Amino acid sequence: MPLVLGIETSCDETAAAVVDGDFHVISSVVESSIDQHRAFGGVVPELAGRAHVTTIGPVIRRTLKEAGLDQHYPSIDGIAVTSGPGLIGSLLVGLSAAKALALAWDVPFVAVNHLEGHLFAPLLEQPDLEWPILTLLVSGGHSLIVLQRSLGQHEVLGETIDDAAGEAYDKIARWLGLGYPGGPEIDRLAQTGTAGALKLPVSMTGSDLDLSFSGLKTAVVRATQKHTEVDLADVAASFQAAVCEQLLRKLRAAMQAHEVKGVALAGGVAANSLLRSGVTQLASEFAVVSHLPTMAMCTDNAAMIAAAGLYRLASSGPSGLDLSANPNWQLADVS
Amino acid sequence: MNLLAIETATQACCVGVRTSSGVEIARVVDENRQHTETLTVGMAALIREAGLRTREIDRIVVDRGPGLFTGLRVGIATANAFAQGVGCGMVGVTSLEMLAYGAHEAGVRGTLVSAVDGRRGDVFVQTFELAESVEAIGPPGVATPQDVAAQWSRSGVALTFTGDGVERYRRDFDSVANAGIYTQLVPSMHAALWLGEQASPQMTIEPLYLREADAVANFATRERPQ
Ligand SMILES: [Zn+2]
Repeated sequence: MPLVLGIETSCDETAAAVVDGDFHVISSVVESSIDQHRAFGGVVPELAGRAHVTTIGPVIRRTLKEAGLDQHYPSIDGIAVTSGPGLIGSLLVGLSAAKALALAWDVPFVAVNHLEGHLFAPLLEQPDLEWPILTLLVSGGHSLIVLQRSLGQHEVLGETIDDAAGEAYDKIARWLGLGYPGGPEIDRLAQTGTAGALKLPVSMTGSDLDLSFSGLKTAVVRATQKHTEVDLADVAASFQAAVCEQLLRKLRAAMQAHEVKGVALAGGVAANSLLRSGVTQLASEFAVVSHLPTMAMCTDNAAMIAAAGLYRLASSGPSGLDLSANPNWQLADVS
Repeated sequence: MNLLAIETATQACCVGVRTSSGVEIARVVDENRQHTETLTVGMAALIREAGLRTREIDRIVVDRGPGLFTGLRVGIATANAFAQGVGCGMVGVTSLEMLAYGAHEAGVRGTLVSAVDGRRGDVFVQTFELAESVEAIGPPGVATPQDVAAQWSRSGVALTFTGDGVERYRRDFDSVANAGIYTQLVPSMHAALWLGEQASPQMTIEPLYLREADAVANFATRERPQ
């Protein structure tokens, strides 16, 4: 049974994991430098890069230990590492560590697209899932609707034309004076608010499957400027409802256009309670299976990178040691 | 002892190896900030050329800065992971001391100031006294090349400047009448290997940035509304 070590450092999480050839997670460790970024209301690239250098070694050691593997010569068959998209200074730390370990252990290494990694996350919890699957991938950096015909065969059906969903949450949270990251803050506050209290537009960007959040952001800012006595919980609930309505309407349109066996959520925003219940409802309406990964698999982790790496090593072969990071690597360009 | 040395704190990427049988090879594998693309490839080639296998490396020596932040992280992340992988010890040397030892090796004596390009109009500097051995006179610091030049002009002390910071701001350093320049763009790998052999090994090495992240600096000094 092959074992792959995955390494992920594309943003503020420093992560490593060992996954076997049947997509079983043997060990998975995630550390985050988020506390250092809170005061700035967003991830500061230089601080993230510095944190990765300090954290990556201990994270890999813990991962190997928890997998019961030798620290110096573990019986690892390959190393998978995120090489994009992400923050260049952060990506380079993981990539450097992966190459150095590949050289030290004389094993192949493979560069993995971070977004493709997210698409592999549901597989780690439901190894018997059936294709094709429609995935809504929403995080602080990305918002896409992807059709997966089979393992590793994906097509981007729609994508945000401006902000990512998580980015919109962060911006609104900052505007309302809430903490960072904005997703959990707004989700929590929304529980006590009334969704219809604020009239907000649900941006539909025409008939295609693309997404857009900047108009909604502007509408929230305008509405709260006009009515200063407005209740924050109502704003949070109204904003959250508008975001989810757009995402679910687009997902529904995608499901009408493509016959699938399952619908999946991925990315950090997939932790959102309203979105999760909406996708569950949609799945039962279309009589397909819903794949809602656990929190640990929604947010950035290295098990999903190892899983995608297993597939990429087998299908495309290893990467060269001269490979560089690609901070703007599009999912559509993965082959 | 078989040593492997890595340098990525400057524009260049260098690798050096010295074996217990006395073979020493050092090479500039890139001159244009392609650290990520060239470092591990260069390490693999040099280890092979020296007739070694990776697990025969006993110690890895790495330039921990000051210098290019991204380059430093590539070098140190690589060195730390490689050492973890093969289970060897590590030694961190500074770019400024590598330059001082490099100049000493070339016969430079007396007061020497190492200057590494710090970007944003700054240089990382440290003063050394080169006699029979090399001795640091003060801690490493950050300054503008204009301030460094003015300070040494005023002092009247005869000295030598070296490092890529001197080349970058050649006009400022040339203006110091009492100073000569020893041209040395890349910190000496021979010096790194020698220093690495003398020191006692550590488990991991941390970068020496000498300057906090811009966002932190701006955040700390920005004007806050009353
Ligand atoms: Zn992600």
